[in-house]
Amino acid sequence: MIDKGKEIILELEHIVKRYRTRGSFFGTHGKDVIALDQVSIRVVRGEIFGLVGESGSGKTTAGRLIVRLEEPEEGKIYLDSNEIAALKGNALREFRRKVQMIFQDPYQSLNPQFSVFDAVSEPLIIHKIGNAEARKDSVWQAMKSVGLSPPDDFAHRYPHQLSGGQRQRVAIARAMILKPEFVVADEPTSMLDASISAQIFNILLEMREKLHVSFLFITHSLAAARYLCDRIAVIYRGNLVEMGPGDEVIQNPKHPYTQALIDALPKFGYSGEVKRYQTLLRAERETSEYVGCPFLGRCKVADETKCSRKKPPLKRLGDSHSVACFYTEPEVKTGSGSKE
Amino acid sequence: MALLVAENLSVGYQTQKGYLHAVEGVSFSLGAGKSLGFVGESGCGKTTLGMALMRLLPPNGMIRQGRIFFDGEDLLQKTDEEMRQVRWKKIAMIFQAAMNALNPVHRIIDQIAEAILTHDPLCDKEEAYEQVRGLFQLVGLPQDRMRDYPHQYSGGMKQRAVIAMALACQPKLIIADEPTTALDVLVQDQILQETKNLQKEFGISIIYISHDISIVADVCHDVGIMYAGQLVEYGAREEIFDSPRHPYTKALLSSYPTLTGEKNRLVPIPGETPNLIHPPLGCRFCDRCSRGSVSCRTETPVWIEISPRHKTLCD
Repeated sequence: MIDKGKEIILELEHIVKRYRTRGSFFGTHGKDVIALDQVSIRVVRGEIFGLVGESGSGKTTAGRLIVRLEEPEEGKIYLDSNEIAALKGNALREFRRKVQMIFQDPYQSLNPQFSVFDAVSEPLIIHKIGNAEARKDSVWQAMKSVGLSPPDDFAHRYPHQLSGGQRQRVAIARAMILKPEFVVADEPTSMLDASISAQIFNILLEMREKLHVSFLFITHSLAAARYLCDRIAVIYRGNLVEMGPGDEVIQNPKHPYTQALIDALPKFGYSGEVKRYQTLLRAERETSEYVGCPFLGRCKVADETKCSRKKPPLKRLGDSHSVACFYTEPEVKTGSGSKE
Repeated sequence: MALLVAENLSVGYQTQKGYLHAVEGVSFSLGAGKSLGFVGESGCGKTTLGMALMRLLPPNGMIRQGRIFFDGEDLLQKTDEEMRQVRWKKIAMIFQAAMNALNPVHRIIDQIAEAILTHDPLCDKEEAYEQVRGLFQLVGLPQDRMRDYPHQYSGGMKQRAVIAMALACQPKLIIADEPTTALDVLVQDQILQETKNLQKEFGISIIYISHDISIVADVCHDVGIMYAGQLVEYGAREEIFDSPRHPYTKALLSSYPTLTGEKNRLVPIPGETPNLIHPPLGCRFCDRCSRGSVSCRTETPVWIEISPRHKTLCD
């Protein structure tokens, strides 16, 4: 549970996102793919919130909904308590300044015909901020803050003259130059080498400290989430399965999927160690789609009867750790003696 | 006797801007049934090394120096036809994003059978299909999916199909270049564990090439760290991870966030990799190294032996 005193900057409330696949050429009907199923998240101002999942989990879709690249079928999204779907005109323009996105592929996210200077100054021009001189100052500052220094060296380069890591820094400078309040970072380092990734992580941390930006950090890596994030939510096939403080979720994972993710990460040279949780089936079992627990098909600890009937709801265990699993026992709160 | 020995291998590419020294002076040996991982970041030369071992370099690539001994024979002395006999039957390769190289208009069973039939002219189609059945069981693919097309398979299944293809001719050595990149975490882990089991069962030697040190940490007996075309540290897995010596190895290990242990601030490596058309004279890591001295720039680094299995270019 979030501290009552802390301000919520972003809230997703019971979000459902569906995609309808088109029928095939031979006439079979399209079906609905539920990309996000009743997802609710609250991000506290100044927090880096991690959304961890594999491909097909819906994590990228969540990011796109937040920046209004797409609209949900059900549910509402609030920025600073304002419903974003209702924003129009100036309020919408303000929203576009306050909320930014950093994409995964540094080789595709920059306009190849724009120099670094053009790319980083464009947001200022679109939002009509400052004159040419003021813009140049802002661009210089933004470039320095992401380590593209001295700016003179980089300003006139084009994307093809930059490495992946450098391009990603341009993307970050571009996102930060409007001094946003909320940034969605979608796997910003999964296409970069480890040492370059580390540079990018540290830039994001600095941005949080200096500009007080809040982040949704989308990743498939629990280790990266542990490093960067205050709180983590684990998502599987459109469903939140576990959520809580970063260290808590990683040291004390309760959902079999989170446990499987932790098992899957190698422990650097100690491969003789037996896997700690062993919750994954080797071969998937048959399940009906969208009925019952989404993880039933791969879960070793599941009960086929109980887990196939209904989807387990996200339940709070103790103070701030939530899990969606029929087999986790809620902890008894000390003091008040009440179970939640 | 070691199955594969490389001696002072140097490989490069002729480019418009000049000769690119992609791999410089690499030596290693691999025993039968053992696994060796080459780790390094983009541009370190590990893929070029893999291709050179199979003599599959593109037209502008050349092995400038060195020798490759496989099963006692000098591979560099072989003709193209002789190399074709070696490839797939004795050494199989799994390329990067191999699953994307599956022919979309042929059934999986036919593609694997083709590999068998091409390299064993005495085999007939029925026998080949029977072997494919066995391979499917080995790699954990369901028997009722043999007649599917690649697009009906998930990423993990395609990768398993590619591994089945590599195993089809019972090679002694498999060279796997980033075999599990682009796969999800759980599938990646399953495939690596299964590959380890297959290796033990059949005594196949494997060379893993990866930018991800954690994969190599998990599955390889020996590890070679590559930087800017050179092997900078080489040794048993435990020694490399417990006591890394080369500044680059140490720096690389500190750039990975871990799940356990202290949450130290990740220390990125400043700067960028050197230009390999005009490589620096001395140590290639010098510009980014926190230690560096004057001699580092001008003197060619020499190997320092830490233990019989562990050597490094810098201590």
